[in-house]
Amino acid sequence: MKILGLSAHYHDSAAALVVDGVPVCAVQEERLSRRKHDASFPAAAIDWCLEQARLEPGDLDAVVFYERSMLKFDRILTSALRAFPRSWRSFPAAIRNTLGEKVWVRGIIASHLGVPREKILFTDHHASHAAAAFLTAPTERAAILTADGVGEWATLTAGHGVRRADGGTAITLAREIRFPHSLGMLYSTFTAYLGFAVNEGEYKVMGLAAYGRPTMVDRIGKLLRRTPDGAFALAQEYFEFQTTASRSYSSKFVDLFGPPRDPHEPIDLESADGRRFADCAASVQRVLEDVLVDIARALHRETGLPDLCFGGGVALNGVANARVLAESGFERVFVPPAPGDAGCALGAALYADRIYFHNPDREVPDHPFWGPAVSGDELARAAREDGLRVHELDDAALVDAVAAELAAGRIVGWMEGACEFGPRALGHRSILAAPHARETRDRLNRDIKFREEFRPFAPVVPIEAADRFFDLPPGGARLARFMSGVFPVRAEWRSRLAAVTHVDGSARVQALERGMAPRLHALLEAYGRRTGIPVLLNTSFNVAGEPIVARALEGYSTFRRGGIDLLVGGSTVVAKGAIAPAETAKENVGWWSESAAESGGV
Amino acid sequence: MAATRGTPLDRIMRPVHRWVWADADRRLRKLLAFAQVETDGGRDIVRAAEVTPDPLLRRLYLEHAIDELRHGDLFRARGTALLRARRTRGATLLAGNPLPGGHGLDDLRIDGEPDHRLLAFLHVAEKAAASRFTIYRELVDDDPETRAIFEHILRDEVFHMNYTYTQLTRVAPGRYRRHIWHARATRLWNRYLRIAAAVAGLFGGAVLSAIYFIVLPPFAWLAKRAERRETPGWTARADGSPSRSQY
Repeated sequence: MKILGLSAHYHDSAAALVVDGVPVCAVQEERLSRRKHDASFPAAAIDWCLEQARLEPGDLDAVVFYERSMLKFDRILTSALRAFPRSWRSFPAAIRNTLGEKVWVRGIIASHLGVPREKILFTDHHASHAAAAFLTAPTERAAILTADGVGEWATLTAGHGVRRADGGTAITLAREIRFPHSLGMLYSTFTAYLGFAVNEGEYKVMGLAAYGRPTMVDRIGKLLRRTPDGAFALAQEYFEFQTTASRSYSSKFVDLFGPPRDPHEPIDLESADGRRFADCAASVQRVLEDVLVDIARALHRETGLPDLCFGGGVALNGVANARVLAESGFERVFVPPAPGDAGCALGAALYADRIYFHNPDREVPDHPFWGPAVSGDELARAAREDGLRVHELDDAALVDAVAAELAAGRIVGWMEGACEFGPRALGHRSILAAPHARETRDRLNRDIKFREEFRPFAPVVPIEAADRFFDLPPGGARLARFMSGVFPVRAEWRSRLAAVTHVDGSARVQALERGMAPRLHALLEAYGRRTGIPVLLNTSFNVAGEPIVARALEGYSTFRRGGIDLLVGGSTVVAKGAIAPAETAKENVGWWSESAAESGGV
Repeated sequence: MAATRGTPLDRIMRPVHRWVWADADRRLRKLLAFAQVETDGGRDIVRAAEVTPDPLLRRLYLEHAIDELRHGDLFRARGTALLRARRTRGATLLAGNPLPGGHGLDDLRIDGEPDHRLLAFLHVAEKAAASRFTIYRELVDDDPETRAIFEHILRDEVFHMNYTYTQLTRVAPGRYRRHIWHARATRLWNRYLRIAAAVAGLFGGAVLSAIYFIVLPPFAWLAKRAERRETPGWTARADGSPSRSQY
């Protein structure tokens, strides 16, 4: 049975293809369109998935959309009515936006793919999150928790999933918290208040939080109150996301926390304002963690299960995930590599396969590499055309050579195999560097990633050596498989892992199993043999504002534009330093030619 | 050389440009808008470098993209410096941008487009930008640092105009003039579409606002009454299994 899952229209559109119960490919639209967080209908992702599996649209048994668009429209309309007359400004835009495309998704899918409308199914948004978390996790029974900004109406759901011995599968989401009461919206409101882009800057809030103290938890208590049943409610007078699209916090919010940060103003942590912003971040982070831990603890008591599958955008918060693992009573916490909306494409397809079509459960490979593959030949051709030094090496020689370069302080662009599905670079599209010196971190932020200096970088370590360098609690290695938890760096290693140790002594570590990325694992071992520390700095292969690279030429253009010293794609290694015609292109082509510009009325 | 004088249209519009640049807040907003436009344009040209099969064009596009991204940084740094120097801070200063932006690449499609089309488009866009920036440079005489940025960028624009033209004559020797006229017509058509969409948006907004105030009040009353009956906290959840229903 061939099922295509789709997510689209809000952020991070994606397509995923499941054949006979097993994913065969999945990719976010942004990786192909090269527009970060591309929310448009994922036409390129669909075409790529079908091409990859050598299928025609007519071969598909079902196409599953990750949410119910009319139910979402119901929420948007109801919210506007409830906010009447304050919603008069946002109402026309919201209606135009929704009626323009989003509610006609069945027709859009049918016309793009040419499939009969009966083959098009819809799932609940949070059911898609739940399926992405549970059906990809190696567990038989688990509690399920999903949390994000908002789906149709739900913002947080709790339940459990079971894989039965007869091959059947059940996912039961028993209860939910409904819009406008949303942990995701609370965090996003602070993201906007702190001058970062919503749905993108939440990482920055988490990074900034480590520089502050949670001095404003009491004030946030006015925004979010706990309800007697263990849930929470947001005090609507502090928020405007229901009434306007232009600002998510109200004047009363500003009265409580002070003037918001201007997005163009750098954060100066030495200034009073800078410290206030860091304290704000620390406070909202603490509140988020406390609420999640409470809800997870109650869910653990209720289900009595040792495993928790956690999905939704909030599950990207590694600090909160680590606290949930440590304090909720669950022994293992499974967060998929794509817990956000993109992952819903895969979740929706798997959900339809197991629940709607009642197909027997199949083991889903426990890795994130479902995207386009890199071609070393393509990279070699482009580099040779540009006069760069190109080496073709076998695996052993390549690993040794790259380890030597890393040990010498070089920064390496690393591409191998299929690219990751989800927001994190987990070893197939990474920028790697020595993790020892703070200067490396500063150089990466300044010359390569072009991002804020307060943001930390993550380490990758072979799972066998993880405990030596990082203080992983029981179950921590699982959470660290997809870089989903933040854990302390052991005190004795912090000075030697300065580039990956955050200001609070923590790191969002990836504990790499050999089977998941064998060549990167070998590289870590080779680097360990040279330096005594088998740990590397691992950051996504992109620059600020761009999606992670997918194909060889995208890595190559990033390499040419920034301070990366060495580029690896498959078995091809490209180094800077030889004749680089791009640097002399202006001279070669010649400068201003009046006759050329004036001729033909140009 | 038209590019260094400004086009007739830009010269006619000079009083409007003067009005924009004379005010510190508008100047600041304009610079920050330019930063975004140049950066976006740079990314589009990076994409062009990634997809072109022509090695020389790849190198030139990359060079061009690096220039555009640097221009974005220059505008951003200057805008931020002016922002810091502002005495009065208004919360609404950066909320939206009602002023016209830079040249940008509009909604240019890169993937699947032939090089001649992109080169023609870039040439026309760069020429228009150079013309506009020439006027701007003159209007910021009181601000040497901003003026220096325009001068720097204008030097790059000359290279951009030149290479796009020479490369267009190389890749489409017999048809380059037609491609340039086509690019001009496309730009004009896109402008018309933008204006038409804006006008349609105004009409649509007016109609929807009328519906909002005339039709919605009783429903709003019902919705508010229903909301008052809801208790925050956990709610039992309906079955969310896949189905053909969008509801």
